[in-house]
Amino acid sequence: MRPLMTPLLAVTATLVRFELRRYLVGGLLWMPASILPLAGGLILQRLFDDLGTGGAPLLLCAAFVGVELVRGLTIVIAWTYGDYWWSAAAALLRANVLRSILTGRGRARHSPGEGLARLRDDVGDVVNFVDESVPLAGAVLFGAAALTIMASVDPAVTLVLVIPAIAIGVLSRLLNRTIRRLHRRSRTLGAAVTGHLGEIFGAVLAIKTAGAEEAALERLRRHNRLRREAAVKDRLATDLLGAATGATVEISIGLVLLLAAPAMHRGDFTVGDLALFTTYVGWLTALPRTIGGILSRMPQAAVSVERLTQMTGPGEDLSRDTGVWFRRDHPVPARPVHDDPLEVLQARGLTVGYGLHGVDLEIERGSFTVITGAVGSGKTTLVRALLGLEPADAGTIRWNGRPVADPGGFLVPDRVAYVGQAPRLFSASLRENLLLGRPADRLERAVRLAAFDRDLAGMPAGLDTVVGPRGVRLSGGQAQRVTVARALVRSPDLLVVDDLSSALDVETERRLWEGITGVCTLLVVSHRPAVLARADQIIVLDRGRVAGRGRLEELLETCPEMRRLWS
Amino acid sequence: MSASSTSGRAASGRHVLRSRRLHSLWPGPGPAALLALSIVATTALPLAAPQLTRRFVDDAAAGAGIDRLTLIALGYLGLAVAGQAARTLTAWLAGRLAWAGTDRLRERLAAHALGLDMAFHGRHTPGEMIERVDGDVAAVAGFVVAFLLDVVAGVLLLCGVIAVVAVTVDPGVGAVLLAYCALIGLGMVRAQRLAVPSAARARAAGAALSGYLEERLAGAEDLRANGAGEHAVRRFHQVSAALWRADRRGDAVGSSVLAGTGVAFAAGTALMLALSGTLSAGTAVLLLQYTLMVRTPFERLIDQLRQYQTALAGLGRIGELLAVRSTLPAPPSPARRLPPAGPLSLELDAVDFAYDDEPVLSGITLRLAPGETLGLVGRTGSGKTTIARLIARLYDPTAGAVRVGGLDLREADPASVRGRVGVVTQDVQVFSATVRDNLTLFRAHPGDDRLREALAEVGLGDWDLDAPLGAVSAGQAQLLALARAFLADPGLVVLDEASSRLDPATERRVDRGVTRLLSGRTGVLIAHRLASLSRADRIAVVADGKIVEYGGRRDLLADPTGRFARMLEEARR
Repeated sequence: MRPLMTPLLAVTATLVRFELRRYLVGGLLWMPASILPLAGGLILQRLFDDLGTGGAPLLLCAAFVGVELVRGLTIVIAWTYGDYWWSAAAALLRANVLRSILTGRGRARHSPGEGLARLRDDVGDVVNFVDESVPLAGAVLFGAAALTIMASVDPAVTLVLVIPAIAIGVLSRLLNRTIRRLHRRSRTLGAAVTGHLGEIFGAVLAIKTAGAEEAALERLRRHNRLRREAAVKDRLATDLLGAATGATVEISIGLVLLLAAPAMHRGDFTVGDLALFTTYVGWLTALPRTIGGILSRMPQAAVSVERLTQMTGPGEDLSRDTGVWFRRDHPVPARPVHDDPLEVLQARGLTVGYGLHGVDLEIERGSFTVITGAVGSGKTTLVRALLGLEPADAGTIRWNGRPVADPGGFLVPDRVAYVGQAPRLFSASLRENLLLGRPADRLERAVRLAAFDRDLAGMPAGLDTVVGPRGVRLSGGQAQRVTVARALVRSPDLLVVDDLSSALDVETERRLWEGITGVCTLLVVSHRPAVLARADQIIVLDRGRVAGRGRLEELLETCPEMRRLWS
Repeated sequence: MSASSTSGRAASGRHVLRSRRLHSLWPGPGPAALLALSIVATTALPLAAPQLTRRFVDDAAAGAGIDRLTLIALGYLGLAVAGQAARTLTAWLAGRLAWAGTDRLRERLAAHALGLDMAFHGRHTPGEMIERVDGDVAAVAGFVVAFLLDVVAGVLLLCGVIAVVAVTVDPGVGAVLLAYCALIGLGMVRAQRLAVPSAARARAAGAALSGYLEERLAGAEDLRANGAGEHAVRRFHQVSAALWRADRRGDAVGSSVLAGTGVAFAAGTALMLALSGTLSAGTAVLLLQYTLMVRTPFERLIDQLRQYQTALAGLGRIGELLAVRSTLPAPPSPARRLPPAGPLSLELDAVDFAYDDEPVLSGITLRLAPGETLGLVGRTGSGKTTIARLIARLYDPTAGAVRVGGLDLREADPASVRGRVGVVTQDVQVFSATVRDNLTLFRAHPGDDRLREALAEVGLGDWDLDAPLGAVSAGQAQLLALARAFLADPGLVVLDEASSRLDPATERRVDRGVTRLLSGRTGVLIAHRLASLSRADRIAVVADGKIVEYGGRRDLLADPTGRFARMLEEARR
């Protein structure tokens, strides 16, 4: 339990600190909401004592309503003001995880649906936990004041009232471990449901064409059932704790009656005192309830911090202060400095699991290198390992002779741009998809070089055409050329392209290669004869090892694997 | 969209819709009766407790013995504990039933959404669908429990209190109490109606954030590779800021309702005390306790206000989703089934098609006898894939007809179309599940031996069916999709660039399998590699959504000035 709690406390501390003024002012604004019931109780005490002496004074009744009115107003103000802190804290955590995945060493190892569940629900749990400190402060303040007032009426009865509160604290501690286990299980199974939904709606075309809707739904039912059972148990454990807390109010009132009986009999304990105690006891339970809430949320929040940390890279702080950008726009990120243009990129002994074994690679400025090989021979693994998209088990990479420690962070635009096998476009305009934050000055040229200009001219909305989720509305070949243009907008020294022309007709393909050859250094995965014929250097892979290296005509003579692929 | 502008007719329509979509939540008579019983116990037990307090105070004032007072206090304790136990039981029962009901609703929504056409799925990201099928329903689930425990139990308690006060205290006080509570209730309902639109906007902003995040997580590698991570984070902040603004507005309305309720209750308490001046002290304490007791569920309800509004907004969105109709109308019943065995003929008769008024195909006419193979060639973006999608009835033509086995697809039973028309697409969608699930798409299958046979057919014989499908290359995914096709027994096969990602050596190996797949079946091949069309009987050249050349492959080859012949010549150069 301890090792889980330390990261949670660190996150809590930074979330409090990063917008300290907002947090403190917001907390102070909430205080009247907790403290004003003290006045309400005192007014009721007077009211009830006056009842015995003939009729309730209207002035006291009005004061009672007035107190509630002031309380209501402060609640509205505090709540709206507090929204900023809550939303800012959630945005901070989400932005840090997202930044780590998109630019740092973090990886979205799970399905996007599951990752989304973490960013949505786990972030909410952590922020709620920190937010709970405000009602805690209010409850402590109220508790201290109320107990003092009650003790001045009857110290013995007040002392006994503390006992149920302590019992609640102890019970919470005992239930903690169970609640944490149940909660973790319910969250895991919940993520399985969202993950499955993401899968079936992500692959809806495959499911519909195969008529597999019913089977996918059956699987959903199974995931649902498992989550349901876990969630009901999770909820029951939390409810039991809540019920125990609720019972304390009733038990406390019972105890007051029991203990005040002699005093009331003597006349020392008035009806007004009883009214005061009855109201205060109700509010007093906020204290064990809040403490109980924090204690039960703590393990849940610790699990959430753990789940979020898993998405970030090693050594990256989940809650580091990267700013809040609600009232003004986030500054446009500065372009990384690139003052060391590519002369030669070398890789030695790249090894990845069972897929790639000690591959060497050398790419010179202005050259055209093609990696080829049968399906599953490790072509994609090689370029992904080179670019740091997949962790290599062994091997070194050098840029102009200098070792590259973190290829994932270094081999990016403007040095290297990469077009993957199944490139994705986002639900936005073509312009936004192409630029992704870059200035538009190279846009037209990039579109032309990528042989997308004719397609674009045929679109009525032009660059403002919104491409659907994942570029569904573009044909496969169009989407591929848009992603090439997207890479070219970045004017990289080296363009890495994985299996580009497979969805292109002969004529478009020729225009594309003519466009990009000579614009930058090229590293291409392909088995198209037209591409192989253009290459300065071909690397033939066979089951993760280099089977041949050279120009096409040399390889056709010396390399049996090349001959097998070519014929 | 705003609720205030809704006309009466639309409102009643919405009411019908709401009751229909809530139907999934009904647990059945047995569980409902048990739950009702438990809610009544949760209400009745606490109702009795203040009667004991009243007797306690009045007896104490009258100078009763300590023994009697202690007995009353102990009785109070017993009632209190039993009341809490009943409440926990209710919460557990309600939670179970709510989960079961909302899971049924989730499954119904998922089934409905899966039945919608591809045009719908083109507009909605998987992240958004997760939010609409799971997120909205989760909000409703939380609400159902809160509704049963707080609203239903609260109203019951209120009725009980009014009845008890009217009978045991004074009918006049009871009547005033009743009028007052009715007033507060009315006010709350009105306020709620004001609050729902802003909550709906907040919910929509939340869904937009979810959609944004899901797409960026799915496209994380593209963003990294383009150095666009920081840009995506910057956009994320903009989407978050929009959510904050929507939340703030929603909460301002929500918290005002909370504050108003608190003031109303205080005013009620004061009113009662002012009225009860002539009653005994014990009765006054009893009234105070009842007020506190009624206030608690309402406070709890308000505490859940955000959830409650979210749930109402969620219900609205669930209704919207259920109201979306597929643009592919269901066939007239009884639907006719495609012939269950053998190759199927294919006929496209003067087919036009447009995506949202943007014409894509016009006047496409094609005819294939059973067992024939058609090759579709043309530039990328010329409309070949759209023709494939019409044949698979992922869309309906805007004019003309697509007939398979002599049957207009609009009149055919959709299940028989899925079973008899097999499609392999260029971009294959795979799941992070086992190899078996990826092969069967979760369906019941004819046994592992058949699955292994299909894998062997495409050269993936060494794959373990039980292993999770890890990272596969696009080529391997295409092999998997071909294996899926081998498993089905279609009468018409559409291969849309099905082997474009394979190296020549692998393609040759798969070729034999594809030949077997096409033998005895009608086939439509879309390929850029013209060489792979050697098995086509007929060729159609598509350009700008029209067929510009159509005929037997040999006839077209024989005419050196024809488009197909020139394309082949160009490819050879």
